[in-house]
Amino acid sequence: MPESGSSISSKLRCALRLLAGVRAPFVSKCFCAAVLLAPLGLTGSEIDKGRLPAPAKGTVDFTKTIKPIFDEHCLGCHGADKQRGGFQIDLKSTALKGGENHAPAIIPGKSADSPLIHFVAGLVDDMVMPQKGERLTAEQIGLLRAWIDQGAQWPDDKPVEQHWSFKPLTLPDIPNARNHRWARNAVDSFILQQLEAKKISPAKEADRRTLIRRVTFDLTGLPPTPKEVEAFVVDQRADAYEKLVDRLLASPHYGERWGRHWLDVVRFAETTGFEVNTPRENAWPYRDYVIRAFNEDKPFDQFIIEQLAGDAFGVEEATGFIVGGPNDQVKSPDIVLTRQQRSDELHDMVATTGSAFLGLTVGCARCHNHKFDPISQVDYFAMTAVFSGVHHGERQLKAIDHPERMKSAQTLRQSVTRIEGQLTQFEPIADPTGTVPFRPAVHPRQNVDRFEPVEAKFVRFTISDTSGHEPCIDELEIYSEGDKPRNVALASVGARATASSVYPNSNRHKLKHINDGLYGNNQSWIPSEVGKGWVQIELTEKLLISKVVWGRDREEKFTDRLSTQYKIEVAMETNQWKTVAGSNDRHPYVPGQKSVPLDGLEGLSEKKRAQLRKLLAEREKLENRIVELTTYPMVYAGTFKMPEPTYRMQRGDPMQPKEEVGPGALTSFAPAIKIPVDTDEQERRIALARWIASPENPLTARTIVNRLWQHHFGEGIVNTPSDLGVNGAQPSHPELLDWLANQLMEHDWKLKPMHRLMLLSSTYRQSSASNEKAVSVDAGNRSLWRFTPRRLEAEPIRDSILTMSGKLDLKQGGPGYHVFEENDNYVRVYEPKKEFGAKEWRRMIYQFKPRMQQDATFGAFDCPDGGQIAPRRSSSITPLQALNLLNSDFMMQQAEFFAERLKQVEKDSKAQVRRAFVLAFNREPSKPELNASTKLVDQHGLTHFCRAILNANEFLYVF
Amino acid sequence: MSFKKAPLSNAGRWLLNRRSFLRHAGTGLGGIALTALLTEQGLLGKDSGPIRPQFNTQNPLAPRSPHFRPKAKNVLVIFCSGACSHVDTWDYKPELIKHHGQPMPGADKLITFQGENGNLIKSPWEFKPRGQSGKMISDMLPHLADLADELCFIHSMTAKSNTHGPAENQMSTGFTLDGFPSMGAWASYALGTENRELPAFVAIPDPRGVPQIGPNHWNAGFLPAVFQGTPFNADKPIPNLDTPKQITRAAELSTRDFLRFLNDKHLEQHPGDTELSARIASYELAAKMQLSAAEVNDFSKESEATRELYGVNDSNKTKAAFARNCLLARRLVERGVRFVQLFNGSYAMGEGVGNWDGHKKLKEQYDIHAPILDQPAAALIKDMKARGLLESTLVVWVTEFGRMPTFQKGADGRDHNPKGFTVWMTGAGVKRGFSYGATDEFGYQAVENVTTIYDLHATLLHLLGLDHERLSFYHNGIERRLTDVHGHAINAVLS
Repeated sequence: MPESGSSISSKLRCALRLLAGVRAPFVSKCFCAAVLLAPLGLTGSEIDKGRLPAPAKGTVDFTKTIKPIFDEHCLGCHGADKQRGGFQIDLKSTALKGGENHAPAIIPGKSADSPLIHFVAGLVDDMVMPQKGERLTAEQIGLLRAWIDQGAQWPDDKPVEQHWSFKPLTLPDIPNARNHRWARNAVDSFILQQLEAKKISPAKEADRRTLIRRVTFDLTGLPPTPKEVEAFVVDQRADAYEKLVDRLLASPHYGERWGRHWLDVVRFAETTGFEVNTPRENAWPYRDYVIRAFNEDKPFDQFIIEQLAGDAFGVEEATGFIVGGPNDQVKSPDIVLTRQQRSDELHDMVATTGSAFLGLTVGCARCHNHKFDPISQVDYFAMTAVFSGVHHGERQLKAIDHPERMKSAQTLRQSVTRIEGQLTQFEPIADPTGTVPFRPAVHPRQNVDRFEPVEAKFVRFTISDTSGHEPCIDELEIYSEGDKPRNVALASVGARATASSVYPNSNRHKLKHINDGLYGNNQSWIPSEVGKGWVQIELTEKLLISKVVWGRDREEKFTDRLSTQYKIEVAMETNQWKTVAGSNDRHPYVPGQKSVPLDGLEGLSEKKRAQLRKLLAEREKLENRIVELTTYPMVYAGTFKMPEPTYRMQRGDPMQPKEEVGPGALTSFAPAIKIPVDTDEQERRIALARWIASPENPLTARTIVNRLWQHHFGEGIVNTPSDLGVNGAQPSHPELLDWLANQLMEHDWKLKPMHRLMLLSSTYRQSSASNEKAVSVDAGNRSLWRFTPRRLEAEPIRDSILTMSGKLDLKQGGPGYHVFEENDNYVRVYEPKKEFGAKEWRRMIYQFKPRMQQDATFGAFDCPDGGQIAPRRSSSITPLQALNLLNSDFMMQQAEFFAERLKQVEKDSKAQVRRAFVLAFNREPSKPELNASTKLVDQHGLTHFCRAILNANEFLYVF
Repeated sequence: MSFKKAPLSNAGRWLLNRRSFLRHAGTGLGGIALTALLTEQGLLGKDSGPIRPQFNTQNPLAPRSPHFRPKAKNVLVIFCSGACSHVDTWDYKPELIKHHGQPMPGADKLITFQGENGNLIKSPWEFKPRGQSGKMISDMLPHLADLADELCFIHSMTAKSNTHGPAENQMSTGFTLDGFPSMGAWASYALGTENRELPAFVAIPDPRGVPQIGPNHWNAGFLPAVFQGTPFNADKPIPNLDTPKQITRAAELSTRDFLRFLNDKHLEQHPGDTELSARIASYELAAKMQLSAAEVNDFSKESEATRELYGVNDSNKTKAAFARNCLLARRLVERGVRFVQLFNGSYAMGEGVGNWDGHKKLKEQYDIHAPILDQPAAALIKDMKARGLLESTLVVWVTEFGRMPTFQKGADGRDHNPKGFTVWMTGAGVKRGFSYGATDEFGYQAVENVTTIYDLHATLLHLLGLDHERLSFYHNGIERRLTDVHGHAINAVLS
């Protein structure tokens, strides 16, 4: 897996770190295991210590004498940058621990036993060090020996200067800026402080039309309606803008807009990716969950916890986050491939969790300790262990009231059983010699065999075929004849069971379960014979019996092992058997039937018939209700199994497992966390989630407020939004970032108050007017001396076009619509649709999103392809975008609709043009614009004019 | 020079900008020594750090200088999707013939992609010496075999995955995972293009359909979308290229004039916002592209001899369509398109149907696929040579991995084999009639000069004048490269 490139070579970096004493504040755990491996034949007798140069005489100083030797000869392979064999010798803490195979390499006081000395002296054939460059002289080895013999004195590693984002949040004072009148809130004070330092004045406030257009797109991704614009323009109230912002934040479209930003961050798409790129039909509930979370202003810490462990909190679909990435569906018996695929899946989960919530590139530590940040490879695998029970796939979306539902269903099942008890009186009497089927087919739940009353001491049930495997009977009941039939087979009344055999080594399938009065697979009898077997009940005395009731699994979880061919015999003595019923007169078994069949209407009195019909109807009603209660929709939110053991993989290679690693998080970051190795699957995820969502975690709050800032102001305070680590960008306003992060927590992690803070600031309300002086100082506008104009993203462009045409369907949620032709090839082929109808006129966030494949018209506007995370979209300008917007079927159709709409409301071309300007640009046309427009409309028709409007810069840009 | 050294990486900047740096430097090495060290490392003077091409958003595809003098200006990649068997084409193994029908030593426990393997099976096609060089090539692709003296073979290729998806990802993007920029996107990001009226990077899908990982082959990944490949072929033009039929020429011109007018008026309100003018320019470019793209796909001026050479009128319809794609490829290269990727073989529509994935019926299926590829692709190279295009164009023939020298147990075809396979190059900057690296005696795994896809990509970039270790793009914490952190340009194949 990828390592980082860098502009600074390893040599320089080592040197710099040594100089500065800069070192990441962690000690890799992987060396611990190395200690265990230490005796691997290296200090043994085969080493000829006699060949060692003698130790030097006199006191040897580490800094003056030893360190230069290490620097010159060792750091190329064992420095901060590279740790061949897991050995690092630029720091005391790591050097004294040793490497993966030989540890410790330095044994203070015992130079002759120290592997390091053996290696540099060339005593171990395949470990002659250094492997590159000149060998050490005997004199140097002597110095090393003396230093080790003298106790390997080494100054402690310098205390670490922490990277800004790894430090706890500061509580910055709000600066006192000079221009008090401009600053509306604290955000402005921070911004102004920097502007004043740079001697730049902020731009004046944007006009109302600009402002409402800007903030409406910003919060909802939709254009403001002309009515909304006019109302705002004339609103004289002092808090008109505040009210506008509040209205937009309360809009259900806010979640659609900001949910999309989040989906970019988490690489959400609705197909598997790779070769087959199969649709995940039920991935959309996660998308809806995200939208809902934003709309409800779900506290962000809760949002984190739910996405990692929503199954524990009644929000099943939230864990769609974990399995939102691509996974290779092409399976093989090749173990290398299988392990690689699993390893890639887990990597995607770990890396995305790190980048989305922590703004850290945890994924970089897959093959080696992180090059820049204090993330060890062991940390990476500890996080992997958290997810090691998570698998790609769908599971049932359990309802929030799941336990209550289960309880109700259980009660209803008892009613069904009661009804079925009553129904047994309608069961036809078995004909043990008959060959024409007339009795209902067997059913896994329950079967009744009625026969003419017969006296018996023994009853035997013999199976000669099943629906698969060894037969299973969860309970065999024998009923006495009479007004109050009772089950005389129960062990509790003294009946005794014997059988042909019993399934070996199973607690669930013991013989005693045949007559223990308990239903269900977990208390059932299975013999050890495939497709056959018998079980016999000895009654307490000779009794008159007339009915046997039995089932495979009265709880209906299992349908295999059903006895499909059987006979029931009775006897007074065990050598005089008489068959009373069997499968001979039953209809053949039909797998998948919902109800236990019963069609005994023939030969019944009218009264009995009515009674039977009533019972059957009642049973059906109950059964339907049970199905309703217990069936949930499927959702692509992962399946959870017992965690697989996790090993640190040498160089990230799944075929090179090293020591086992228990679940955990990043050990160098607050708060401290310990997840015991025997923690169950769900608890692991909860623990990690709580660690991430902790107010003590220095990264989480900073990362999310920075993302909010990014979308409001065009660029984050840190413009590498998913990397706040050492290799990420420096914050433009570090104090402001910390202040905002604190604010977030003060507002219980709610995002809407944060939006409000940012949007109500004077900073946000600035016009986008440029000024030469400011450009000369800060052309990139990092200090925010104006509002940076920007092109709309693909989604608001498409949504706006549909708004103009009047066709936009604002229906929210549910399965997405498709812009590709249907296809069922096993390698999915995505051929763009040519014709579009009302189904496709919903907002783009509801468009079914395949990985790799892009919407044929709007994908070219820098839509992420769902392969990797896209925390920050680029904004390209290409001729293909122009061609798409000018010529695509979609656009032509919408231009026509737009024209029709205008024609419906206005008769003459001038009014139509005016209306179009107001709709599309939120303003009246100027005179020249009006003239040019009407000229085009009169010459070539309204559609051409509309086509141009939908292509105009003013339509696609926000200022 | 438009190719400026990128500002330091964030980490580098961090180290250098820190005021505290020298304060903390406890060992007495002062500022002067530091400067010397930095200079030595090229951070202040000589270059060795990552280079992010500096492109102007107003004109992101303007041609840019490479890092050093290039041998090639353009690249044409011929990609055979599905894994074309090396032991049946370019990699002659007399021992395989000798041991035909015998078990491969040590292979009894070998589990490859689809499972167990049967015995070693010689190629059903005969190998013959070709050209001056006498290179042994099979009869499966006779036209391409005739070009042996032109080709530079690498017989020791290895891939990281034995599955089409990840392996095709790796061949086209350097990474087995989804979502990384394709090599064509890297090339257009680095170099821009000479002909802005055509896309800088064109992907030509096979007439039977898109290749196995579809757009991953030409996606821009996390690079700006402007560097994405544009997929079209001779029969399926650039989507949305043509003005809709219902729009008359006069209406189209008036509409565009009007749009220009609107945008100009708007620009007056926002002086200095260069993106707006870039977007205006993109419409003008689009108009030019409509003409140029139509022209490049119009073969009416091609001579009858040329058409015959490629086989554009062949009675085999798929072959004729692929021949048209080959002709299109030449015309694109001729017009300065930076990177052309020509696909032979499509997505799987049944095992080995539609592409080179010959698991069960190798002979039967390759007898269908081979003629589609052979004459047209050979014609393309001959034609390019005749026109002098090979002087400045690198041609690379690739496939995602090789196939086993054994047949699969109980089948008449070969399983996937990423341990050894062949690719070849020709044209600008590479040796001709040359073979590099080798697999073992049966063609199972690369044993001599083992070569990775990183090496191949490094070589390709090298020929374009680019140092693969320095061409980078920052994405999520990493200066990303086409070659990840690996690869060496293969000097031995350079002319």
